[in-house]
Amino acid sequence: MQSGELSPLLSFLVERLEVGIFAVDTEMRIVLWNRFMAVHSSQQSSDLIGKNLFEAFPDLPVKWLEKKIKNVFILKNYAFTSWEQRPYLFRFHHNRPITGGVDTMQQNCTFLPVKNDQDEVEYVCITLFDFTDTAIFQQQLNTAIEELGKEKAEQQELIKKLEDAQNQLQQSEKLASIGQLAAGVAHEINNPVGFVNSNVGSLDGHTKSLLELIAAYENAAAKLAEPSAEFQAVEELKKKIDFEYLKEDIGDLIRESKDGLGRVKKIVQDLKDFSHVDNKQEWQFADLHKCIDSTLNVVWNEVKFKAEVEKNYGTIPEVECLASQLNQVFMNLIVNASHAIAERGKITITTSAENDWVCVAVTDTGSGIAPEHLKNIFDPFFTTKPVGTGTGLGLSVSYNIIAKHGGRIEVDSVVGTGTTFSIHLPVKHPQIPEDA
Amino acid sequence: MLTTDQKDALQEIANIGMGQAGEVIARVLNEFVTLSIPRILILQPNLIAPALQRMVNSENVSAVRQAFHGSVRGEGLVLFGSKRCTDLADLMGYEGEVDHETELEILLDISNILVGACLGGIAKQINIDIGFSAPSLMADRVPIKEMMQVDNVPWQHALLVEVNFQLEKRSFACHLIILMPEEELVKFAAALDVFLESL
Repeated sequence: MQSGELSPLLSFLVERLEVGIFAVDTEMRIVLWNRFMAVHSSQQSSDLIGKNLFEAFPDLPVKWLEKKIKNVFILKNYAFTSWEQRPYLFRFHHNRPITGGVDTMQQNCTFLPVKNDQDEVEYVCITLFDFTDTAIFQQQLNTAIEELGKEKAEQQELIKKLEDAQNQLQQSEKLASIGQLAAGVAHEINNPVGFVNSNVGSLDGHTKSLLELIAAYENAAAKLAEPSAEFQAVEELKKKIDFEYLKEDIGDLIRESKDGLGRVKKIVQDLKDFSHVDNKQEWQFADLHKCIDSTLNVVWNEVKFKAEVEKNYGTIPEVECLASQLNQVFMNLIVNASHAIAERGKITITTSAENDWVCVAVTDTGSGIAPEHLKNIFDPFFTTKPVGTGTGLGLSVSYNIIAKHGGRIEVDSVVGTGTTFSIHLPVKHPQIPEDA
Repeated sequence: MLTTDQKDALQEIANIGMGQAGEVIARVLNEFVTLSIPRILILQPNLIAPALQRMVNSENVSAVRQAFHGSVRGEGLVLFGSKRCTDLADLMGYEGEVDHETELEILLDISNILVGACLGGIAKQINIDIGFSAPSLMADRVPIKEMMQVDNVPWQHALLVEVNFQLEKRSFACHLIILMPEEELVKFAAALDVFLESL
């Protein structure tokens, strides 16, 4: 198949079309090699005609390509290669010597059976199209799609973070307003309790005086030789009202009232300490033992039926903290501990200090946390409590509060045995930008 | 859409065509191949996907489409079920490890051979001339329902010819489907009539 056999127009087209065209016979000898192929391979047609394709181009994947060409001879049908799966057949320079983009010309090839009059395939003609521009465009498109996907994922991540932050904000606002309410109530109770307390004090004095007076009367009466009928009536009244018992009981009543008032005062003080409305979210050195005690008093009603509380306090320095927020954390941990206990158990609160760090550990003898839940427990809205019981925010809020303090919160749990939450706090608050 | 005579003729032609195709594919692959007796159906667009699903009997498929054109036009579809064609790499002259791109190239190559041989076989019987476009990947392990979008096609019926292709030694199998819209089916029927008259 020499170009000379073709009409001048056809041979011109074969020669000058911007498509690689070459052909081989059944022995893989090159019978046609057009200008495009010559230019890009730097091998002239006159040097190649008659040569074995694979001897002339040893870089070609001989086994595969020979099979591919032979199949065209057998099947008498087209075969193809696409740049997407096979970027190139010949390693040619691409047509972008300046602007670049890919390292080799990307090629789509068609293997065309050239049949003779007897319907036998005499040659296989291979056309090679330059798909470099398409490939680069596709590459750019893929990169753009990939970036868009990445951006979308990032946005989704941001939206989720925003939602989490908003929920936490709502939760902490809720807790803050509960704190304010508690402080307001405490203040209101404080006044009446104050004057009741003072009145009871006076009452105590007055009662004692009155009892002294009665005792004096009794003494005087005993000295009279013959009790008159009037005294007889007094004696009967004394028996009727059980005066001896009254005398004893009146003291007990007043003592108990004083005791009760003392407890009311303590609760009011604890509520105030807990909410810390007095010192508006300032970093102050605080005694964590006091914080834990006041928290325990606030939640005592919830805990007392479930567990005995053992305080295992070590010697710890005061910690620079936002005490009201730490109280929230202690409350969460203690309430969670009591929730974990089904019937009756024990909550141990241990404190210790090492170097410039303080550790508070809350250990319960409850049900423990399943290993598959451990990684989620600090996630917002994660809860295993029945619907309507837990918000799933307690530990998440706690986690963030501790993080804000530059500390860390750790959990160690054995299913069926119990759980320990350990809070590690630096004694001195590290300077973290206040954007949290 | 086709008269009984036309349908019988098509079945006969397809049988002979597949026989020839099987022979030539066996020569190409150097393996014993089995081609099933072609099954011929005329289906509405929405029934094609369920029909393919029944044939392939695999949830996810990979598929290659290849257009043919000439006196009649249509598409050849080759569906690969759970059986992958990496096993055929050595038959196609590949050496070394078969990566995903190579696997896809084998998929395209096998499809090209099947479509070319089978359709070529049929076309030769009724003396019509067809050429082929390059095959392209239509689906890479996706459900058949997602692969075919026939909601907005300009035809009411399509001719579907199904052939199963098996390489027994390799436990490899795939399905060849030839699809022609009714407009082309009319031309095809005319070609069948010419063939019948020439008998």
